[in-house]
Amino acid sequence: MNPDSENFDSLRQLLSLKRHEIPPPGYFDRFSRDVIARIKAGERGGEVGADYSWLRRFLGMFDVKPVFAGAFGTAVCAFIVSGIISSENTPVMGGGVSNIAGNTSVAAIPVSMSGPGVDEQFSTSSNSVAGSLFDHFPLQTQPASEQILLTGGN
Amino acid sequence: MREAAMIMTEPIPRKAGDALKKVPPEEPSEPVPVEETELVQRARKGDLAAYDQLVQRYQERIYATVYHMTSNHEDANDLAQEAFIKGFQALKSFKGGSSFYTWVYRIAVNKTINFLKQRKNRSQMSLNDLDFNAEHDPDLVALISDKTPRREAGLTELQEKLNEGMQKLSEPHRLVVTLHDVQGLSHEEIAKIMGCNIGTVRSRLFYARQQLQGFLADYLK
Repeated sequence: MNPDSENFDSLRQLLSLKRHEIPPPGYFDRFSRDVIARIKAGERGGEVGADYSWLRRFLGMFDVKPVFAGAFGTAVCAFIVSGIISSENTPVMGGGVSNIAGNTSVAAIPVSMSGPGVDEQFSTSSNSVAGSLFDHFPLQTQPASEQILLTGGN
Repeated sequence: MREAAMIMTEPIPRKAGDALKKVPPEEPSEPVPVEETELVQRARKGDLAAYDQLVQRYQERIYATVYHMTSNHEDANDLAQEAFIKGFQALKSFKGGSSFYTWVYRIAVNKTINFLKQRKNRSQMSLNDLDFNAEHDPDLVALISDKTPRREAGLTELQEKLNEGMQKLSEPHRLVVTLHDVQGLSHEEIAKIMGCNIGTVRSRLFYARQQLQGFLADYLK
């Protein structure tokens, strides 16, 4: 089987087109300079570069196989969601702020942030329930929606 | 004297005006040109200026091979640079049994094939522009105006189709076509670079051309 004996003349003519594909002007003027610069950078920072080689390989996997990027993204999302869920289930030290207002979601804010128009009926001293935790801080608890209303009003 | 040495080491293009067509590396049994040996020796001792000269001497051919394999300028740039960097780092293992060119060529080819195997899911082309001479290349002019059934096809369309066809070949077949039909290396030289026998090169070339011819049938007579 001799490939040259077959009639591939037209194909070879067409393949000659590939020889006319040239990189951007000036590309080869800086090519060797870039190579030498990278060699020098590697010699100077060889150890530092090695520290991050695993990271480069790891990130390189995303380029090679996009499925890795998807899997990694899913894992990160799952981690964040599980973190949020577990943090909600974790009891707060000192008796739990949620006990103060029952099932109503509350926001703890410094008193100083409260405007002059804060209605005193919504201000509940935390000292009565949360005792020791808030003894050192002048905090008050309010329904979150009320706080938004009040600060927006100012 | 220096001029004579340069003549010895600089390959002679087989076709005038053929920028990317490559010239065979020296036979391993032949003595390696003196100047290249000196440069390699100096580079081996850490002389970056000497290595810079070696890079400048072969950068176009190495880049072209990698580019024709990847059909992507950015990938070719990275891989060609990495091949030369790897070459510098591994110079101590260079025994001098073949020319430096053949040796660094093998590094580039291996790197490229490994890269392409990993890149299978992402075959994005980033093609270089055609040079001005392409419009006046007699082969191409004849191909477009007389022989091509789809005469409306422009050079850019042909370029894209040709590169698509190349990317459909397996890496070894694409490499053989690139080295032989694009860069003009002989079967023997390709066999040395690929580490296989000449018969394998011939059969791969035949099969690759058949595949390409089938894919590009609309653009050939």
